[in-house]
Amino acid sequence: MADQKTIEAHDVWLALGSGASAVSILRGAGLTLENGQSAAVVGPSGSGKSTFLMVLGGLERPDKGSVKIAGTDITTLSQDDLTAFRGRSMGIVFQSFHLIPTMTALENVAVPLELAGAADAFDRAAAELNAVGLSGRHRHYPAQLSGGEQQRVAIARALAPRPALLLADEPTGNLDEKTGQDIADLIFDSTARRQQSLVLVTHDLSLASRCDRVLTVADGQLSQLNAEAAA
Amino acid sequence: MSIDRVTSGATAIRGRPGLKLPLAVRFGMRELRGGLRGFYVFLACIALGTATIAAVNSLAYGLSDGIAAEGQSLLGGDVSFSFIHREANPDEERFLRDRGAVSVAATLRAMARMPDGNQTLVELKGVDGAYPLYGELRVSGDEPAQALLSAAGPRTPALVEATFLETTGLAVGDPFTLGRLEATVAGVVEREPDKLSGGIAFGPRVMISTDALSASGLVGTGSLVRWRYRLAGPDGPMADQALANLVADAKEAFPSAGWRIETRTEAAPGLRRSIDQFAQFLTLVGLTSLAVGGVGVANAVRAYLAGKRRAIAMFRSLGASRRTVTLLYFFQIIVLALIGVGIGLLLGAIAPPVAGVFLADLLPVSALFAIFPQALILAALYGVATAIAFAIWPLGSAYFVRPTALFRGDTDAPEKGSRWPFVVATAVAGGLLAALAIFAAYDRWLAFMYVLGAGAIFLLLRIVAVGIVAGARALPRSRRTVIRLAVANIHRRGALTPTVTLSLGLSLTLIVTLALIDANLRQTLTSRLPDAAPSFFFIDIQDREKPAFLQTLAKAAPDADVQSQPMLRGRIVAINGTSSDEWPETEASWVLRGDRGVTYAQDPPENGTVVAGAWWSSEVKRNEVSFAAELAEELGVGIGDTIRVNVLGREVEATISNLRTVEWESLSINFVMIFSPNVFAGAPHAHLATLTYADGEDTEAKELAVLGEVSGKFPTVTAVRVKDALETVNGVVSDLALAIRAAASVTLFASILVLAGTLAASHRSRIYDAVILKTLGARRRTLILAYGLEYALLGLCAAIFGLIAGSAAAYVVAVQLMELSFVFVPAVALGAVVIAVGVTVGLGLIGTWRALGEEPARVLRSI
Repeated sequence: MADQKTIEAHDVWLALGSGASAVSILRGAGLTLENGQSAAVVGPSGSGKSTFLMVLGGLERPDKGSVKIAGTDITTLSQDDLTAFRGRSMGIVFQSFHLIPTMTALENVAVPLELAGAADAFDRAAAELNAVGLSGRHRHYPAQLSGGEQQRVAIARALAPRPALLLADEPTGNLDEKTGQDIADLIFDSTARRQQSLVLVTHDLSLASRCDRVLTVADGQLSQLNAEAAA
Repeated sequence: MSIDRVTSGATAIRGRPGLKLPLAVRFGMRELRGGLRGFYVFLACIALGTATIAAVNSLAYGLSDGIAAEGQSLLGGDVSFSFIHREANPDEERFLRDRGAVSVAATLRAMARMPDGNQTLVELKGVDGAYPLYGELRVSGDEPAQALLSAAGPRTPALVEATFLETTGLAVGDPFTLGRLEATVAGVVEREPDKLSGGIAFGPRVMISTDALSASGLVGTGSLVRWRYRLAGPDGPMADQALANLVADAKEAFPSAGWRIETRTEAAPGLRRSIDQFAQFLTLVGLTSLAVGGVGVANAVRAYLAGKRRAIAMFRSLGASRRTVTLLYFFQIIVLALIGVGIGLLLGAIAPPVAGVFLADLLPVSALFAIFPQALILAALYGVATAIAFAIWPLGSAYFVRPTALFRGDTDAPEKGSRWPFVVATAVAGGLLAALAIFAAYDRWLAFMYVLGAGAIFLLLRIVAVGIVAGARALPRSRRTVIRLAVANIHRRGALTPTVTLSLGLSLTLIVTLALIDANLRQTLTSRLPDAAPSFFFIDIQDREKPAFLQTLAKAAPDADVQSQPMLRGRIVAINGTSSDEWPETEASWVLRGDRGVTYAQDPPENGTVVAGAWWSSEVKRNEVSFAAELAEELGVGIGDTIRVNVLGREVEATISNLRTVEWESLSINFVMIFSPNVFAGAPHAHLATLTYADGEDTEAKELAVLGEVSGKFPTVTAVRVKDALETVNGVVSDLALAIRAAASVTLFASILVLAGTLAASHRSRIYDAVILKTLGARRRTLILAYGLEYALLGLCAAIFGLIAGSAAAYVVAVQLMELSFVFVPAVALGAVVIAVGVTVGLGLIGTWRALGEEPARVLRSI
């Protein structure tokens, strides 16, 4: 369905903590993203960028509002259904990689495929690793890889199940400029080639400017940043 | 710049590593400010083990001191001369009375008959006016015991134990009959100072005066009466030298008296031996809880240091040497061990007085209300040695942390370097612990075997863990996600396999061992009487009344089998001319220690088979004896050896002419020694008879009828109902079993703690993995199933090991230590394993289940 929207998030509210210590992070945030489109979310630290991304990924349940991913309202799904849906439809890349330290690069990438019951999980994982330039690193553990290589493994892992949406939380935040540039190229090339939508949280405005849309978070709401500012 | 140099303030100290300790101590103290979180299992393990050992040893010391302190009252004098069957002859009595104050007491079993015709077996004691020479015979009420016993009246006054009143329904002032004596309950005994000098009591105590005993008709020729002559110095306690001289003089003056001489320093030798053996067993229990606890210590240290990797890397990157970092954490472990030991010592130190309150009526507890430094020092050494022995190896992980761990996460490869120092240090600490266990033990051989066994189990579990990992790795990749995840979890890097296998394997071994010992003990206790077991033993049947007695039995129980044998008591005084005191100690030494029932017979017994030598002919002239084959072998005697026994104050020697099998468990009339008839020709003696009903009959009513008939007509014959006697013995054994279970539960608690600690230690990384997997699409059910399957597979492997090792250990403990027959009870063993595996899977999943219920973002944020 070419006209289907990958993301339809409306009036999302979320407070973290409880009682007197509760902090309202999202206050009516919303985002709509077409298939294959990319969006960057920028804003100061603590503004709620990553939290919004976690809500999109179903890692955090909003207190109020609706979040539809590829036509499915994930706020109404049970934990297990949401988990399965995430495994099928979304890939997530974290700033600190979050690889499983006791698994090799190949095993890390194969995990979501194995969970989805793919018989050829390891073959596909190997292909994904080769695609991100890690053909010689299949049997290495995360600690034996550089930061850039670990992030490549994380990207390969996120892309392996061919999700409709890739969510990336400051994917270059822990990397040097050159490596960060390579990782960014990898993300944009891969998503473009596979017609995947992308939401990118970053502080890096030049990276943000490579997206179709640039949004900023202020007072718990998302708004379009003008093109000049983004440039 | 190195932290060592900055903090110590001088480049001069470089190359003087000894000065690094204070720096490590300072850092260690700072780190400990964070509290003891994560160390509760560590502390509990050390505290439990130390407390058990401190308590057990303190109790043993206290009770031994108590026996020594109360030796005179336990023995009833400074020295006791005891005879079986007979009183001291006039020469012997004169000898004793010339040397101090003498008190005479006689003990025997007798039947007490109630006015309603019921009767009960009692432990009768006749005491003279001087009793007790030491201690106090306390009775309820205001009147002194001796005044009650000597009170004049139509009936003989008797003091009885409270249980006598409970079983008979009598009250103070009520009449009853003892032999031919019309007695009345004059008072209730609250404390009998020399009670522990007797053996197992088959009935309640009834005490009368010796004069009354003489008039009771219960003391006849060959009656099973033990006469004790207790002496004290004329003016109070005898000096040690005077005591030694008296014993030497007595032996010289009456070399063939056949009396047993005991002095106050060796009062209650059986009790002392029991206390020593029980302490030995409980020390093994304590050591087991320390060994199991040691695993808890190792796991706790490993988990703690895993959480400290970044801090260690930080120290290293700031210039701290590997040695400094290692010393820092070693210092912390020592501090924690000392806290655990302190808690353990406190608990151990209060155990004796607490036990003293509960055991006051059973044991000599006067010395329990004290502190026993030797016991506490020993326990402290065990505690600290265990902590060090088990902590050194995981401590090595701190030594090899690289500064780059700061940047590479938790699994940065360790720095290269030789691990030999840690291997050697662990071996030295473990060796010291083992040496301590062996040299401090009552039975060093047993302790040595225990240490070997424990070491073997640790080693085997390590091998099993390696095998499980290799096996899991070699398995073909399953098509099912849950199985694939579970199998991968078992063999992948950082897997729980080695720690869980060790903890669970140890726990299961322990659980199976305890369950099987318990089941075997219970089986022994509740086992039915042997099919051919007699219903009654009748003792003290006088020669002249034997025909009438047997006739009465035949009439009262026409369908029962009645057997009778001459019955004497005798003591082996020498074998082949070597005094029995000097005969080498063997398993059968009990045969030499006290009086044994002996008999004579022309023909071999029906329930025994001659297995060596030949039975004597009817024309036998020389003194011959048939000896129980198994005991002869254990004692190291055989055909042709000579046995000298003292019977009725006369020593006779006989040659072993044959060995025969004895079925002790049949409970029929069995004797270690059967002499040829010529040996005791003309000797006065009584008879022993048994009455046996055919198999499978419910004989309760018949037995009571026989009892009524016999005790009415033959008041001086004592009837011991086998069922009642067995119940009494079972009561004693079940008290012992309860004590063993209570002690063993300490170890069990330690093992559950360790298991929980092991799983808790892995909890953090489990949650991390689970949340990442959940983020990647793993459902909670998939993860729970995968983790559950992983725990269950590990549990199964550990269970198989536990079943084998636990059964072997239970066999050794039951057969070698407790001298029980061993039966493998599959239901019990498997039940224990199923429960244990269930608990493991449950414990393992509880934490993960909770974490999986949370929003992944919250967990990710906290990682």
